[in-house]
Amino acid sequence: MSVVIPENGCFHCGLPNTEGERFMVEINHKSYPMCCPGCYAVASAIVDNGLENYYEFRTELAARGDAALDATMSKLAVYDEPELQEEFVFEHGTDKQIQLTVEGITCAACGWLIEKQLAKVTGLKQVSVNVAARRALITWNNDIIKLSGVLQRLSHIGYEALPFQPDEHEASYKKEQKSYLKKLGLAGIMTMQVMMLAFGQYFDVFGNLGAETIAYFNAVSLLLTTPVVLYSGSIFYVSALKAIQARTVNMDVPVTIAIAATYIAGVLAVNNNDGEVYFESICMFVFFLLVSRFLEHRSRHKASELSSNMLKLIPVTALKWDGSDWTSVIAKQLQVNDLVLVKPGESMPIDGIIESGTSTVNESMLTGEFEPVVKMMGDKVYAGTLNQEGSINVKVSSTIKHAVMNQILRLQELALMSKPKIAKVADEVSRYFVIAVLLVSGLTYWYWWSVGNPDAFWITISILVATCPCALGLATPSALTCAMAKLNKLGVLLKRADALEQITTATDIVFDKTGTLTKGEFSLREFAFSDAFVKENVSIRNDKIEKSTEDQSEQDFILALGSFIESRSEHPIAGAFLHDYANYNFSMSAFTVHVGKGISAKVNEFNCHMGSRRFIQAQCQAAEMMYANGTFDGALDDANVVLMINEEIVATFIVTDTVAPEAKALVEKLGRYRLSILSGDEQHNVNKLANELHIANAFGNNTPDGKLKHIKQQQAAGKSLIMLGDGINDAPVLAAADVSIAVGNASDLAKNAADVILLSHRLNALDDLLTMAKKTKSKIKQNIAWALGYNMLVLPFAISGLLSPWQAALGMSLSSIIVVYNSTRLMK
Amino acid sequence: MSIIYVLIPLAVIIVCIGIAVFFWAVRNNQFDDLERQGYSILFDDDIDSPKQTKESNAVKQTDERN
Repeated sequence: MSVVIPENGCFHCGLPNTEGERFMVEINHKSYPMCCPGCYAVASAIVDNGLENYYEFRTELAARGDAALDATMSKLAVYDEPELQEEFVFEHGTDKQIQLTVEGITCAACGWLIEKQLAKVTGLKQVSVNVAARRALITWNNDIIKLSGVLQRLSHIGYEALPFQPDEHEASYKKEQKSYLKKLGLAGIMTMQVMMLAFGQYFDVFGNLGAETIAYFNAVSLLLTTPVVLYSGSIFYVSALKAIQARTVNMDVPVTIAIAATYIAGVLAVNNNDGEVYFESICMFVFFLLVSRFLEHRSRHKASELSSNMLKLIPVTALKWDGSDWTSVIAKQLQVNDLVLVKPGESMPIDGIIESGTSTVNESMLTGEFEPVVKMMGDKVYAGTLNQEGSINVKVSSTIKHAVMNQILRLQELALMSKPKIAKVADEVSRYFVIAVLLVSGLTYWYWWSVGNPDAFWITISILVATCPCALGLATPSALTCAMAKLNKLGVLLKRADALEQITTATDIVFDKTGTLTKGEFSLREFAFSDAFVKENVSIRNDKIEKSTEDQSEQDFILALGSFIESRSEHPIAGAFLHDYANYNFSMSAFTVHVGKGISAKVNEFNCHMGSRRFIQAQCQAAEMMYANGTFDGALDDANVVLMINEEIVATFIVTDTVAPEAKALVEKLGRYRLSILSGDEQHNVNKLANELHIANAFGNNTPDGKLKHIKQQQAAGKSLIMLGDGINDAPVLAAADVSIAVGNASDLAKNAADVILLSHRLNALDDLLTMAKKTKSKIKQNIAWALGYNMLVLPFAISGLLSPWQAALGMSLSSIIVVYNSTRLMK
Repeated sequence: MSIIYVLIPLAVIIVCIGIAVFFWAVRNNQFDDLERQGYSILFDDDIDSPKQTKESNAVKQTDERN
C-alpha cells in the first residue's frame, strides 16, 4: 500500500470515520470501512467496475464522496442544452470535443481510474487526463451518448468534472510554451555535440590534430551551431529589435550583439580557414539564457492554468412557467415578466419581484449583511442571492444582462483597468546595467584597437558574454517560481507571480467581514436555561449515558432538546444546533415551520415553540410578560432564539455569526500593518467584531461602489493595500487593491478578480503568504547582489584581455547555476 | 583518423533524427503531463470480476513488487 490511511479513517478519503462498520466495502477480498454514504457509493462503483487497482497504486487519498450524488447528477442534464454547449464544446470532425476541469484528482492513479472508467463507455472516442493540470480532454459521438452521461459516469467514481472558462491568454501561453520547449531542446542537443568537438580541440584528446582536421571540426561545429543561432536564439533578436524600436535597451541587446558578432566572426574564420571560433560558447550561452526564459514562462503558464480551473461554468438554470407546467431553462433565456419558481436552497436565477410565497433570503453576497432577510409578496429579489426557506414564485423584472450582479461585474472590470502598475526593480536595474556594459565594451574595443592589439574583437566579445545579465535575469523569475511552487503546497495559489513583490511593500491590510474574518454561518455563542424545568425532565435521557456531573448533563439535555426541534428546520440558524440527541428518547408527533419566525412542534408530551422573541410573543402573551419579568435566573436579555415549552420560557440562546477560530491569532501576528475591516454590514456589527479582534479601523454600511471608493481614497493617499474578501460585493475592490486575496470559499467572481487564492479555508495561510513573500524578496536581493557582484568582479579580467570567450561563457553559466540553486532553497 | 570523416557525419544524422523525434513529441503534447504516464506500467489491464483467482494472483504479485 503506497498510501497511509489514518487510524479509524475512511479507507477511501482518510477522514475520521464516526460510523464504525456501517459502510463496509469489499476491496480485493478484504472489507474496509467507509465514513459516509458518499464514499461508500464511490468505492462500490470503483469495485463494481473492476478498477480495484486504483487502491493499490494511489499515492494520495481520494476526495470525499458526494453524499447528495443523485441530486448533483440530475442537475447535469442542463449541460446538454445546445445553446450552452456553443460556449465550450468544439466540433471535432463528426464528433464533439470538450476540455473539462476535474475536481478530486489527487494523484496519478486518478488519471488511470478516469481513463479506464470512461474507456468502457460506448460512444466515447478519446479520453486523455492531464494530472498536473487537473484536466481531461474528451471526444465523444453525440448521437450515442450525451455530455451529461459522461459527466454522470465521472461523478459515479467521485470526480466532479465541469466545463470552465479558460484564461484569455491560455491558448497563446500554450503555443509559446511549446515553442520554448522546442528551442530549448534543440539548443541543448546541439550544445552537447558542439561541446564534444570543442573538447577534442581544447584538450587534444586525439593527440596533435592536423590543421585539416581542425578545419573539418570547425565546419561541422558551424553546421551544428547555425540552427541554434537562427532558430533557438531568435527570441532574443526579436525582443532586442522591439526594444530598440521603442528607443530603449533591454538585456537582449548585448545578448544579440554578442551572439551575432561571435557567429559572424566564426563564419568568416571557417571560410578563410583562419582565426578563432567560439561556436561552443554561443551554443552554451543560448542554452542557458533559454533555460531562464523557459522557467519564467512555465511558472506563468501554470498559474494561469490552475486559476482558470477555478472558474467553472456552472450555468444558472431556472424553472419557468410555460402556461401549463414548470420547465427548466437557462437563466439567460428569461424575459421580463416570465414567471419563475425558486425552491428552498436554490439561488435566485435573476432579478425579480415575488408574486407569491414567503421566504428568507441570504443576501450576504451582495450586501455583506449576514442575517437573512424576510421577503414577502411584492419584495424585490436579486440574482445570486440564496433562497433559504420557502418556495417562491418570482416575476422577472429585468433580463440577466441588467441584473444587479452583472452591474457589479462591470464595476469590477473598470476597477481592474485602474489597478496600480508595479515598477519592476530588476528591469530598471538591468537597463542601466546594459547601457553601462555597452559603453564599457565599446570603449574597450576602441582602446585595444587603437593600441593595435589583434585580439581587440575577442576581448570585446568576452566582455559582452562575461557580463551577460543572464544570472541577473534569472534572479527574479527563479525565486518567484520556487516560491510559487512552495506556496502551492501550502494551499496558496498565486495567479500573478509578481504579486509576491508587491506584498512586501504593502502598508495596509483590509479585511472583509462576513465569510472572511467570520465563518459566515450561525453558531451558538451563549445560552441559559431554567433549572427547574430541566431537573424535572432530565429523566428522558437514555440509561446508556454515563452519569457525569449534574451540571453538564443538564446543559446536555437542553442542547439536545433544542437541536432535536431545530433538526426539522431549513433555516440557517438551525445549523447552530448540532448537539447529539441520540441519547434521549425524544419523539416528535407534530411540527410546523413558520417561515422567518420559528418552529412549533410537539415533542413527547411537550408543546414546544422555538424561534425569535417576536414569534414567542405572538404565540403566548403571558409567556413574554413572564419573560420580561425574569422567569428564570440568568435568562439572557439579548437572546435571539427562545424556547418555550407549555407556555413557559425554559431556555434562551444567543446565536450569531462567529469569528473564524484562527482570526485572533492571525491578527496578532499582523501588528506591523495598519488593519481595517471594510464591510457592507451595519456599523455596530462591524465595530463589535473590530473590538473583539483589536482591529483599529472599522468601516460599515458599504456598497460595492462605496468599498471601491474607500480603497481608491487610501491608494490616492499613498497607501499600498492588501485586500481579503470572498463575496460578489468584494469583487470590484479585489480588482482595485494592490494585492487581492480571495479566501477559500469565495464566489467565482471574487476568485476571478483576486491575485491570490487561499485554497484551504484556513486564514493562517495569509501568514504563510506574508512570510514567504518576505523570504522571496530577500532571496531576490541575494541573487541580484551575487549576479551583479560576479559581473563586476569578472569585468576587469575581461577588459584586460585575460579572459577568453569560452572562459567567459563557462563563468556566466556557473553564475547562473548558483543563482538557480540559491532560489531552490526556498522550496525547503 | 580518417574514420572521423564517416563517424561525425553519421553522428550528425542521428542527432537530426533525434531532434525530429523531439519536435514531433512536443507537437503531440507528450510533455504536457509528466506525472501520470510513469505510473501506467504499474496498472494491470482490466480485472474480470468472475475470474477471482486470477485477480488475487495478480494483486499478490504486485504486492511483492512493492
